[in-house]
Amino acid sequence: MFLLEHDAKSLLALYDVPAPEGVLFDGVDIESAQLPQPPWIVKAQISAGGRGKAGLVRTANTQNELRAHLRAILGATHKGMMVRACRVEQQVTGVTEAYISFMVDPFSAGVRIMLAEFGGVDVEALAGTSGALRCAIVEPKIEVITAKVRELTKGLTFNIECALNDAGIRLAHAFIGAELSLLEINPLFVRPDGSWIAGDAKIITDDNAMFRQSGLRALLDSRAIAYPEADRKERHGCDYVVVDPDGEIGLLTTGAGLSMMLIDELREVGLRPYNFLDVRTGGLRGNPARLISVLEWIAEGPRVKVLLVNIFAGITDLGEFSRLLIESFSRVPQLDVPIVARLVGTNVESAREILALRDISLFTDLDKAITQVRKHLLHA
Amino acid sequence: MRNPRIESGSGVIVQGITGRAGRMHTVRMRNFGTNIVAGVSPKPDVLEIGGVPVFATCREAVLATRANSSVLLVGAEQLLGAIEDAVHAGIKLIVTPTEGMPVHDALRARRLTQEAGVTWIGASTPGMAVPGVAKLGFLPEAALSAGPLGLMSKSGTLSYEAGYRLTLRGVGTSVWVGVGGDPVKGTYFSELVPFYASDSQTEALLIVGEIGGREEEDFAEALMAQRFSKPVFALIAGRSSPEGVTMGHAGALVHGSYGAYTSKKAALERAGVTVFGSLDEMTSVIARWHASRPHG
Repeated sequence: MFLLEHDAKSLLALYDVPAPEGVLFDGVDIESAQLPQPPWIVKAQISAGGRGKAGLVRTANTQNELRAHLRAILGATHKGMMVRACRVEQQVTGVTEAYISFMVDPFSAGVRIMLAEFGGVDVEALAGTSGALRCAIVEPKIEVITAKVRELTKGLTFNIECALNDAGIRLAHAFIGAELSLLEINPLFVRPDGSWIAGDAKIITDDNAMFRQSGLRALLDSRAIAYPEADRKERHGCDYVVVDPDGEIGLLTTGAGLSMMLIDELREVGLRPYNFLDVRTGGLRGNPARLISVLEWIAEGPRVKVLLVNIFAGITDLGEFSRLLIESFSRVPQLDVPIVARLVGTNVESAREILALRDISLFTDLDKAITQVRKHLLHA
Repeated sequence: MRNPRIESGSGVIVQGITGRAGRMHTVRMRNFGTNIVAGVSPKPDVLEIGGVPVFATCREAVLATRANSSVLLVGAEQLLGAIEDAVHAGIKLIVTPTEGMPVHDALRARRLTQEAGVTWIGASTPGMAVPGVAKLGFLPEAALSAGPLGLMSKSGTLSYEAGYRLTLRGVGTSVWVGVGGDPVKGTYFSELVPFYASDSQTEALLIVGEIGGREEEDFAEALMAQRFSKPVFALIAGRSSPEGVTMGHAGALVHGSYGAYTSKKAALERAGVTVFGSLDEMTSVIARWHASRPHG
């Protein structure tokens, strides 16, 4: 999961990584907040790059300016994401900017280290400047990473060499300790005396390691509102993403790849799916709770006019699944839309009988099911 | 070279055979023809399940049965330990359907299996199959039939859908490998290119990929390096997915242009791969190829 900058810096603080003092705002009520000394930098908290160019990072010298910037940035959208919060932090001056990152390198099963004497620009830009970026891939062990950082920094301007070496040690502890997939400090602010502070922080965590990452777990529990998808997965055991708030087709689907492909194909022919879902039928175990939750979420879609159920079950008994489905529908009356079901797998015939009781027609051919969805949309 | 081909009669172990998934899939795999010769479980009171002897460690199971392949149906928290157990016992083909393996554990398992010359398929894989011979994992029978098409996929369900449609059109598979949707895993598409190039039963190759990572791009490079001469087809899911949101699979995360659909499509097409826009197109083009083969 991609951590917002504010949370990335909070996590890094557990590993003694210094960052400018900062406060998180989801509104413009700045009077009651413990603000650091001005001037401030106001930074939109979203999980997409290019914030600076999009005008979502601004400098404020007075409280009025600060309020105006917050008003302008909060609620803005960038790359399809709405800004729900801003981090306001003290501006750092009198520094130069460097770059360092650690990243899981899947193919070599190692850690890719990248560092540069210059920072503040995209790593792609650094890579394009001849000799600017120094890289290596090493075994994922703290002592191996820090030794390689020492080697890579040799010959850099002395204060930057000192800063990157110290950063390398702290960041390697964070990377291995918190089991991160990506950790990037860009820019890393370096003072003339070789001390340093993280200007920005980009982190991708591993959801699968959460069970043994209590620090990260506690941090995210307190910030569940900022990560609705991850929180949902944690609590309900399924993946759900609203892909189009104005979408007209609710999707009850299993399997990430097939669900993505279905969305692609529906959009290709001009239809508007509302959500992505991998409900994981194998994990239902006779309990309708997850299906009920999913139907409740889909019912929140203001323009959802039809529900398409698409399950290709390798293992799941479709008769049992259909019984759960019928029970779940009766518990979510607010989802008052026609239902089209396409099921393939074990026990289709019993599924057909059960669904017929609710006047739901069952298809085994996906294209025919989509044609039926179209008919319902025309009549809606 | 990684080699997923299971020979007829070759012995297979199920690690975690006493669990819910272990019991169920042992029956299903045997019904398909898989020669399951032993199970492994830490439970001291279970000596056999459905006639399959159960051992405490993989080493004991291998010593008693000479099995060289293993399916691991254990929880994500035990997976790294179970892989280590299998490698140390001398197993040469490991299939791990388990979902949710921590990335840093996968790094260690990948280093270990590579050094030991073991073919590791997974994690988060629906498994693999050689139709007519054996299946290791969950692949549904409705999607499996023997034929000349090699198939590799990241996604389980999308490959089921593809295999099902192709089977309805009379196109079967030679060796089907679900490499899984995790970012760090035992076997990537590109690493099976040498195998599919040399496998005499495989006349063409289909990959079912998705956005995220650079596996499809690496695969395209491997095809060119190999001078792969058989027809190659690709279906890639997620072209309309939003940036920065993980779509189910941990690996399916697009960030900037990294992992994006357009980059994958371009790389594959440069390598001469036919990339399909829909399942329907995939089915008809591959069925046409199948029918037009000289001996088809």
